[in-house]
Amino acid sequence: MNEKQGFKFFAVFLNMTWFALFVLAPGLMVVGISFLTRDISTFFTWPLTLDHYRELVDPVYAKVLGNSLVYSFNTTLLCLGIGYPFAWFLSRAPRHRRPLLLMMVIIPFWTSSLIRTYALVILMKANGIINTVLLAAGLVSEPVSMLYTDAAVYVGLVYSLLPFMILPLYAVLEKMDIRLMEAARDLGAKSLQVFLHVVLPLSLPGVMAGCIMVFLPAMGLFYIPDLLGGAKTMLVGNFIKNQFLTAGNWPFGSAASVFLLMLMVVMLGVYFFISSRFNRSQES
Amino acid sequence: MKKWTVILCLLLVPALASAGDRTLFVYNWTEYMPDEVLTAFEEKTGINVVYSTYDSNESMYAKVKLTRGKGYDVVFPSTYFVHKMRKEGLLSPIDHTSLANFKHLDPVLLDKPYDPGNTYSIPYVWGSTALAYNKDQVAPEKMRSWKDLWRPEFKNRLVMNDDVREVLGVGLIINGFSVNDTDPDHIRMAYESIRSLMPNIRVFSGDSPKQPLLNLEAWAGMVWNGEAYMAAQDFPAIQYAYPEEGAIFWVDSMVIPKEARNKKEALAFIDFILEPENALLVCEYIGYAPANRTAVSMMPEELKNNPTIFPDPEDVKKGEFQTDVGDAILVYERYWERLKTGL
Repeated sequence: MNEKQGFKFFAVFLNMTWFALFVLAPGLMVVGISFLTRDISTFFTWPLTLDHYRELVDPVYAKVLGNSLVYSFNTTLLCLGIGYPFAWFLSRAPRHRRPLLLMMVIIPFWTSSLIRTYALVILMKANGIINTVLLAAGLVSEPVSMLYTDAAVYVGLVYSLLPFMILPLYAVLEKMDIRLMEAARDLGAKSLQVFLHVVLPLSLPGVMAGCIMVFLPAMGLFYIPDLLGGAKTMLVGNFIKNQFLTAGNWPFGSAASVFLLMLMVVMLGVYFFISSRFNRSQES
Repeated sequence: MKKWTVILCLLLVPALASAGDRTLFVYNWTEYMPDEVLTAFEEKTGINVVYSTYDSNESMYAKVKLTRGKGYDVVFPSTYFVHKMRKEGLLSPIDHTSLANFKHLDPVLLDKPYDPGNTYSIPYVWGSTALAYNKDQVAPEKMRSWKDLWRPEFKNRLVMNDDVREVLGVGLIINGFSVNDTDPDHIRMAYESIRSLMPNIRVFSGDSPKQPLLNLEAWAGMVWNGEAYMAAQDFPAIQYAYPEEGAIFWVDSMVIPKEARNKKEALAFIDFILEPENALLVCEYIGYAPANRTAVSMMPEELKNNPTIFPDPEDVKKGEFQTDVGDAILVYERYWERLKTGL
């Protein structure tokens, strides 16, 4: 084995061990526990059972899952709506300015998203910065209710996840050959037509990647709806956490996690299927 | 913002752990002990304290249970968790003779059924869950009963603890049942009452129920007395009231997990907290009543007469202490899910 191969082996081995130890093993444990029986003093015990999966077929869990999907879906749409034009202008900015602009998208990530969520509380509360300014300017006579509303939840989710949409979109838009658009225009296409028939199809892989990267984490960020929405709706994350901690029902919590995991696998599968078909059609 | 402190603590853990040879791992509720007390302990004994926090008995229990308490030396469970952990053999007996300050404890709070003879637990503070309101917006006569929460003028103006036992507990109380009821029919009635309260609830607060009151987002609600005391320090319009049906009471105790590695240091720490001066400092900071009668006798009149910290004995008699509900917690959780999904 020469030096280069040794390094390769080491890097791959280290990564695989890491994932096996801290991702695969706990994941398999969750799958295993989901088939066991609840026990008040040892968390779970024999015998094996499918009861917890049967319990998942329940209007409560459907509603919890539905709430989470709605939040995630709307957040993804909002991020796409805001992120697409932003990524477009970013990719068309003068080349020497782009690193700085990209940097500004990334910098907020240096702070924990929990802390940034608390910062939003300080901005939006009834005696917070926004309301103080509005009241002082005489624009409103009473503080506007912003905190603990659905709108606040979306502000928090979009704020936290927007860069995940912008970066993949930027990556595809930046690589796009500007001559294709010029050609379309020379052939008489209007701006909207250029966008619909040239830019959008070419940026589809970025759109898909961005949507997946926003949608999946949005399902898990339950502390944002808790802090900004007032914890009045239960999301999948809360549900699983409560099963583990409050109810001490680890097998049921695990079954709910496994179900969520399967759902995400299906969505990722759809994504890979579509993008591989897209790549093939590009090649041909 | 207590989450920040948690994060800071986590960052400081490695730094502190390497600083000296004698270390003590303390696991406590958030905002439950002033830093001065910890620093004073470190200075007096030369033992480094590694302090981490939790926000529910349940998450504390899960960690201590999984590690069999290895990694933590002093933990602060509430009564019904002392009972549960003692029964499951998670706690190590505490030798009272090595606690010179044991004599300061209030005998009223000792030798309770959850831990006869206090073999495994030493009471730390006790407190209550009751009503709080902003008197700029709410007249005191409108906050005398748990039922007052249902007043139509509080539409979208209440803060509640994000705690299944306490919220459904209020539902149980107004239906005339115990907060420790395990009868599924009674819990269902409690759920139905709380469901009719939902339009009034603006926020369920899991980490700091005083914040929505301080933020003026909520005008009234259910909070812990210490939260109300701390809020009133910043904003005197926040008042605390014991409802006529009775408040929910609890005691939090200090325990040493079975597998704790620094038991000697843990005993030194418990004894240090039992020193009346330190118990007094804790009370002034967190606003919960110390289980320490010498400390109470040393208090300035103003603190001693603060009804938020020290309820009238009549109010204590009307109230109820929480106990473990066993498997009925599953019924509570089911209704909690329904409440939050609007089904």
